[in-house]
Amino acid sequence: MAKAFFVVMFIICMSVSGCNREPDVAAQEPGEPMKTIVAVGDSLTAGYGLDESEGYPALLEEKLQAAGHKYRVINGGVSGETSSGTLSRMEWILTLEPDIVILETGANDGLRGVDPRLAEKNLRQMLQILREKDVVVVLAGMKMVWNMGPEYVAAFNRIYPELADDFDVVFLPFFLEGVATQSQLNLGDGIHPNSQGYKKITENIYPYVLEAIERREG
Amino acid sequence: MNVRFLFRELQHSKSQAVVFVLCVILSLVSIVAINSFRRDVRQSIVSDARGLHGGDIIAHSHYDFSQPLQQELDALAGQAGIERVRTWEFYSVARREDGRDSLFSNIKAVEQGYPLYGVVELASGRDFSAVLQPGKAIVAASLLQRLDLAVGERLLLGESSFQIVDVVSRESLRPVDFFNFGPRIFVSAGDLARMDLVKKGSRVNFETLLKVAAAGRIDSIVASLQDKTVFGQERVAAATTANSRVKRFFDNLLFFLSLVSVFTMLLAGIGMQSSLAALLRQKEKSFAILRSLGATGSFLLRHYLLLVFILSAIGCGLGIFSGLLLEKSFTRLFAGLLPDKIVLGGTLFDVLEGIGLGIVVIGFFTFLPLSRIKNVKPAAVFRKEGDPGLPARGGSVLIGCGVILLAGLVVRQLEDVRIGLYFIGGVLALIAVISVLVGAMLAPLSRIVIAALPLRQAARSLLRPGNATRTIVVTLASALSVLMTIYLVEDNLHGTYIASYPADAPNLFCLDIQKDQQQGFLELVGEEVELFPIIRARLSSINGKMINRREEARKRGDSLAREFNLTYREQLLEDELLVKGGSLFGKEPLQKGMVPVSVLDSVAEMGDMRIGDVLLFNIQGVPLQAEVSSIRSRNKSMLYPFFYFVFPEKNLQAAPQTFFGALKVEKEKMSQMENTIVNSFPNISTINVSETAVELGKIMQKLSTIINFFASFSILAGALILISSVYATRMARMKEAVYYKVLGADSRFVLQVFFLENLLLALLSGGCAILVAQAGSWGLCRFLLDIAYDANWLPTLLMLGLTVCLVVSLGLLSSLSILRQKPVRFLREQL
Repeated sequence: MAKAFFVVMFIICMSVSGCNREPDVAAQEPGEPMKTIVAVGDSLTAGYGLDESEGYPALLEEKLQAAGHKYRVINGGVSGETSSGTLSRMEWILTLEPDIVILETGANDGLRGVDPRLAEKNLRQMLQILREKDVVVVLAGMKMVWNMGPEYVAAFNRIYPELADDFDVVFLPFFLEGVATQSQLNLGDGIHPNSQGYKKITENIYPYVLEAIERREG
Repeated sequence: MNVRFLFRELQHSKSQAVVFVLCVILSLVSIVAINSFRRDVRQSIVSDARGLHGGDIIAHSHYDFSQPLQQELDALAGQAGIERVRTWEFYSVARREDGRDSLFSNIKAVEQGYPLYGVVELASGRDFSAVLQPGKAIVAASLLQRLDLAVGERLLLGESSFQIVDVVSRESLRPVDFFNFGPRIFVSAGDLARMDLVKKGSRVNFETLLKVAAAGRIDSIVASLQDKTVFGQERVAAATTANSRVKRFFDNLLFFLSLVSVFTMLLAGIGMQSSLAALLRQKEKSFAILRSLGATGSFLLRHYLLLVFILSAIGCGLGIFSGLLLEKSFTRLFAGLLPDKIVLGGTLFDVLEGIGLGIVVIGFFTFLPLSRIKNVKPAAVFRKEGDPGLPARGGSVLIGCGVILLAGLVVRQLEDVRIGLYFIGGVLALIAVISVLVGAMLAPLSRIVIAALPLRQAARSLLRPGNATRTIVVTLASALSVLMTIYLVEDNLHGTYIASYPADAPNLFCLDIQKDQQQGFLELVGEEVELFPIIRARLSSINGKMINRREEARKRGDSLAREFNLTYREQLLEDELLVKGGSLFGKEPLQKGMVPVSVLDSVAEMGDMRIGDVLLFNIQGVPLQAEVSSIRSRNKSMLYPFFYFVFPEKNLQAAPQTFFGALKVEKEKMSQMENTIVNSFPNISTINVSETAVELGKIMQKLSTIINFFASFSILAGALILISSVYATRMARMKEAVYYKVLGADSRFVLQVFFLENLLLALLSGGCAILVAQAGSWGLCRFLLDIAYDANWLPTLLMLGLTVCLVVSLGLLSSLSILRQKPVRFLREQL
């Protein structure tokens, strides 16, 4: 259902000459422009191993619209992506003309042992770009798995609260709160949420998104 | 029963009898040797599989094992004849004690006794279990180089310090853990608590390995453990069924061995049939005379049955003896290739099985020639030629029974009813095709006007009524096509598995290279490295039908549910070929909004995609409609990057992308190269596969030696049979030579006619054989072995050349003696 809606509301043409897109306005109700939230992130946003309709962007869109918010949520998650990858596709993300961006990235940097300073630098740049474009940001915090070692984990976990302070963004302290380590809320790989897990994540993130909407609509 | 008659018949046809016995011997040798050796190889493969997985049974989870499973595992560990070892594998940052440097590493904590199977070889040559004590660490050489440490120095893991005591030089489990970021560190399971890295909130691979003394119990233990697993979270598998990448190669190898034994059997059968047919053809006149003198058809049949039985018994005895002898020598032949524990040697069962199989093969292939004896009419004595034809009454029923029996035999050898039946159907179809082909090739010969007399004579004599050309060509072509098929299949197996791990295969993969880092990366690695753009996307629908992710995700192996790596480029990669479509992206302009996409055959099969199908992709929130413009296939294995979906550059250039680089780095420079890359571009992850490549290469090489041996054994046996059957038909041509000489031709002319006739015969058989072998091998590779097919035309043509030389020279050699002698002697003997 959410997917069908998504397709109708967001028919984007790809011309043979490249990836040029024109938002389709015909499907929108006159006088009530649909605003855009882009969920940017890695496999945790993409909904690895699940149908897109089970991922949190689709669930969030459903919840928002049920509550009367005229927002569509685009799933801009890319499995396996590090913060460097997210940074280099910022331009692409901005062409979607988002009003709000939910930024969830950096977990793969941590899982591959990339220096936390790099993730921080990348996130800082992304937040800077989004601020310049006047996009309201919900920053989803990430906590690193314990096996990486206390020193690394501490350095990594510090990044998000610090950045949230520096940029004064809406801050969800831990994206996987209440989901991580719960076997019944994750897939067999122990790291990706299952459909139940995404329901929980949607509940978690919803108030922060409402806060972002408030900020957007002033 | 007239013993004198029997003895005289045997004495008169010594050479054909020898050929017949030789064929029986060869068929039994190969059956006995291959069958018992196949069992040994299977044993060896089981042992390799255990070595790869480290146990007979592997239980795996990303969480602590659930209580029921843990209880079951604990109960098993307490039983006699079952050993258990637990391992914990995870990534962490290993640091120098002075804090100067750190490295992302793969830590494996193991209990005493690990590995239950296989080896972890240490640079010092010491025993792994003895060296790995609490507080000590055994590390990969690259860790020492990258952290600038030496054996004896200390390393920090978590908050604990470990002394590096040795270096891993080889790990037999490596090919299973293929994509590992970071070098390996082994620590003792006793240090887990001290490290404090494994607890709630850690990402760890928990594994329990079991070694079961009684192999027969493995399946039932696996089943009982599987009952206790939490679905989707815990996995229990036996080493032999665990899904490793090498497994398919093992399966294919065993299948190929079975195939070779069936082929050798068929070849030998063809040899028996042709030598016996030649013998009987030669005897036809004496049969007619005997019939005129009052001997009945069954008198002849009875005696010849006994004759064949005697010859077969001699062949069987010699064959089994040589088979066992050959099998014994395998131990020496494959020293170092097979595990030491394997006891090679034939059993009584092998002997009995060999005899049983031999009787079936002999019975089937001698039935047809023998059944013709009864039909020889006394009038044949007056005729110069004549073909008794097929036995009329009940003949076809008997042939049918024979085919069924043979089918049973093939099924037994291939150990799979469906494949066995496909195979026998395929062989029958091939023989039918060969017969039709021969007919089609011979037909135009009669109509062509040939000016040169020798060539005309050669062509006409092939067509002369009653001449055995058709039979000879069908026999020769069948044998040749079997030989070529063995060669082609072996070559393709080799190409797919062995040659795809060449010395220059890339051994360092670099992930996550950003678009703006391309130039810098290329300058840094200082070599010509191809970078592959990667665009992540999901496939939403095929021809408007949405992908059912839930259903797809349940499939074993790859599925359409996952995110795919799209790429763009304008040409095929070196190891790719187009299987459908004229060019990568087609020539026809597509409708607006539609872009062409080239699809890899494996994903095309997954989604039943055809040219012209419309695929809808979702590229990070943006839909892209693409029409399948071509289907590609690839012939390299896993060490080469490959992409399911390839687009034209202009269509994806603007999409968000990262690059993937595959490099070949010298072993000594590997650590330095990894450090250089990571220091300059900390976001790039490197995967060093050199150890995996070496380990895989070793296994493949070892098994390929076995494959090569059996293929060449079978080819040699086949060649011998081929020579024998050509030799067996020389009588017919001898007669021709004599007639030419009687008619006044000089030796040169006779030689010329002979040369041309043999040449035509060889070309006809060879041509048919090539066509059939190519079609057959393609089918075998494509449908049964599931590997890419390379036609190898050059060696095929070389084989044709060899056949021509063989047939022509044998044909000429056998008539040389006649050319030198006076024809009258031959005529006196014959008439």
